[in-house]
Amino acid sequence: MATITRTFNNNRRSITTGLYVVAVVLALIWLLPLIGGQRPYRLVQSTITGLLVGGIYALIALGIVVINKASGVFNFAHGWMMLLGGLIFYSFFTSSAAGTVSPAAAVALSLLTMIMVITTNGWRQLMQPRSLAILVIGTAVFSGALLITGANLQFVQALLGAALGGVLTGLVVERFTIRPLIGQPLFAMVLMTLALSELLHGITQLIWGSVEIPLQVFTGVAQLGIPSPIRIDGGETLAGTIIIRTELLIAFILALLAFGGFVAFFRYTSAGLSMRATAENQKLAQSVGLRVRTILAVAWAIAALLAAVAGVLQGGATSLSLNMPLLALRAFPAVLLGGLESIGGALVGGLVIGLVQEWANLLFPGSQAGTELAPYVVLMIVLAIRPDGLFGQKRIERI
Amino acid sequence: MRKVFLALLLLAALAVPAFAQDETLPDFIEHTACEVDLTGETVTVYHFGDISGSYAFITQPLLAGLSDAIAYYNARGGVCGATLASDNRDTGGDLAQTQAHYDYYSTLEDEPDLIVLYASGDAELLSSQMAEDEIPGLISAGSVAGLYGEDGATPGWIYASNPLYSDQIGSFCRYVGANADQFPDPVVGYISWPGAFGEAAYTDETVSYCAAQGVTVLETPEYFPPTATDITTNVQNLVDAGANILYTNSLASGPALVAATVALLGLDDDVQVAGVNWALDTSVGLLGRSSLGSDGLPAVNGLVGSLPFYWWTETDQPGIGLIREQAAANERALSMQNIAYLLGWGLVDTYVELYAVAVNEVGSLDAVDGAVMKGVIENLSYSPLGLYSFDYNGGETRALPGNRIARMLFLNADGTGPATSGEDAMTVPLADGTTAYIPILVPLTEFEPAPDLRPGGADVPAGS
Repeated sequence: MATITRTFNNNRRSITTGLYVVAVVLALIWLLPLIGGQRPYRLVQSTITGLLVGGIYALIALGIVVINKASGVFNFAHGWMMLLGGLIFYSFFTSSAAGTVSPAAAVALSLLTMIMVITTNGWRQLMQPRSLAILVIGTAVFSGALLITGANLQFVQALLGAALGGVLTGLVVERFTIRPLIGQPLFAMVLMTLALSELLHGITQLIWGSVEIPLQVFTGVAQLGIPSPIRIDGGETLAGTIIIRTELLIAFILALLAFGGFVAFFRYTSAGLSMRATAENQKLAQSVGLRVRTILAVAWAIAALLAAVAGVLQGGATSLSLNMPLLALRAFPAVLLGGLESIGGALVGGLVIGLVQEWANLLFPGSQAGTELAPYVVLMIVLAIRPDGLFGQKRIERI
Repeated sequence: MRKVFLALLLLAALAVPAFAQDETLPDFIEHTACEVDLTGETVTVYHFGDISGSYAFITQPLLAGLSDAIAYYNARGGVCGATLASDNRDTGGDLAQTQAHYDYYSTLEDEPDLIVLYASGDAELLSSQMAEDEIPGLISAGSVAGLYGEDGATPGWIYASNPLYSDQIGSFCRYVGANADQFPDPVVGYISWPGAFGEAAYTDETVSYCAAQGVTVLETPEYFPPTATDITTNVQNLVDAGANILYTNSLASGPALVAATVALLGLDDDVQVAGVNWALDTSVGLLGRSSLGSDGLPAVNGLVGSLPFYWWTETDQPGIGLIREQAAANERALSMQNIAYLLGWGLVDTYVELYAVAVNEVGSLDAVDGAVMKGVIENLSYSPLGLYSFDYNGGETRALPGNRIARMLFLNADGTGPATSGEDAMTVPLADGTTAYIPILVPLTEFEPAPDLRPGGADVPAGS
């Protein structure tokens, strides 16, 4: 008995991994006949749909990871930041079409964003003539861009409005809720994001109401000559037509571009490296001269911007509703699966969750396995084997 | 002199409301005559439901309807002279909030005689509590568990103003079975939201009743969350299993997404989309406006479902005429002109009748309590504004049976009938710069009792 116990203790990791491998092999043996029984075009269709839907999850996951990478905080308010960004886009999209963009709103949004950008490292920046000049010029340029009337400017103006709104949201959140907690336990910041989600819930409801809003942002796609949806004849091999929703494809491409950009940003720019250093240890980073406050502000602005993009894309694919923040909950497994600090992990996690969801829907019809079960089973298995996620950093703490 | 002038002004100001109350209700509204004067008292409509979640597209117009109707009736004497008021609370679709609001109401010093609910999940949560506290409820929903308890055989204290959802799908199957020329070899695939409401219509009894009507219901219902980005796989699962009809027990974006996906897959000529009474609503027409079918009209064009009330376009019905007139007077937008706005008016009119009867029975408003109100509801024979008719069979049933089947179409450019294509349709510019098509509902049958498909119900086929 003692020998068995000793052998198990000495080889615990190998044995555990081996057991999981056996479980996965058994699961595959169970699943393969189910997969084999499917029509080829259904397998391809579900794979494509899963990847495209996964692109939205990945974009949401990326925003959460950026915050985590810079500050170690898991942002529970990300879903509400998504909705807020989508609603700001909607407001400019509709008022621009009607030629009724409020000058006061345009100036206020531009001015507030510029003030928050200029003062990321402290309010004193406002006293400097150079900063003031930038403030005036920036406000004038952005306000002007938001107020210019003209054909085909609707989309660009809405995009600019949402971008400014997103950056402003991120900076305000960081300045007034996160910054005061620098140096405090991370748990306090996480709780703050929970409080923030309730606050954003109230704000969106007060301003835009509770009624679901269809965001007709993709209706212009057909006018550009892009088929919507894209239909691909599978011929005799697939025995069916593959359908690709253009709006989801656009979201997917944007997600890939965003990932490419952020991987480069964190790997090759000093700002990106500073963010990584800050995430490791805020006090240590501050002691070596890194501007922790600025770094955190930039991270929150980027995350809010990403949230706004995800909000617009999801809103265009479905609609803008107070349910949208729940979608962020579906991205949580993607974040954990990929690894909390991994940009690439967020992409892979999002795609895997989307794929697993659609495949489970296909293989187990009528079971709700796709939305309610499969993503979490996969997450559980991966975390059991790799507790830090697929691409997460393994941490060793000295005791 | 100045004091006299001010006193006259004050008198004039006080006199205005009195004159305003001299307005009378139109002749077609025939409430029970009041034997007790309730002037100076208040009758409150206690309502709580999902005002900000998935149901918001429905519940916001309900609030508008309640508000407009209460103002209208108060200007015409209220309830036997008592002023009507409303107390609306938002659950956000969260059952914990439902419980919290119920706890608040049920522990008020002056406990409500009647509560208005709006969701099957809320009814299922509170069913036994309301029975225990002896507080009756009115609801516009109908799951078996919410109205008849978990065993389906214990009628509770909640009364629905529409047929049970299981009875509605039964009505639909009966219609399909009777119209074999339109629906040859009908196979229904059930696709809906998960949860008490979405799953309420799929029961063993409905499956066997539909089979008896010659309609097969697939044994693999598909469920998708209201946040779903894409349901292609769910729809294809059902179509591959043989479904040529997709029935949904969802509302607002739910039916719109099902219809949009059918159109996306190019199946709109082969697959009929159908649904519960909430699917036949303005909200579905508006939310579905960006997904067009092969005819250039919104993909929800042609959707078939239950219509247990009179609709906005049936202007020969005086109640509808009054509501249309009041919606216009209150400048209600197109999105507000839906089922729930109608039901808000029906509800307030019902309150006036219920309290008139109850107060006549017990002599004063203070003497009215939940038990009295339950008795009044169970024996009520009344048609609020003519929209639907109360009949709970002396307390034997908990949902109104009257139902008919209707089709959602879109108005043509002349406003004379249904559009045949996108080019032929009337469009209305909306404030957001987009255009909306005008949904109209065309009844396909007359009102008739829906089949009784409660467990053990009269129309449940033997042996199921």
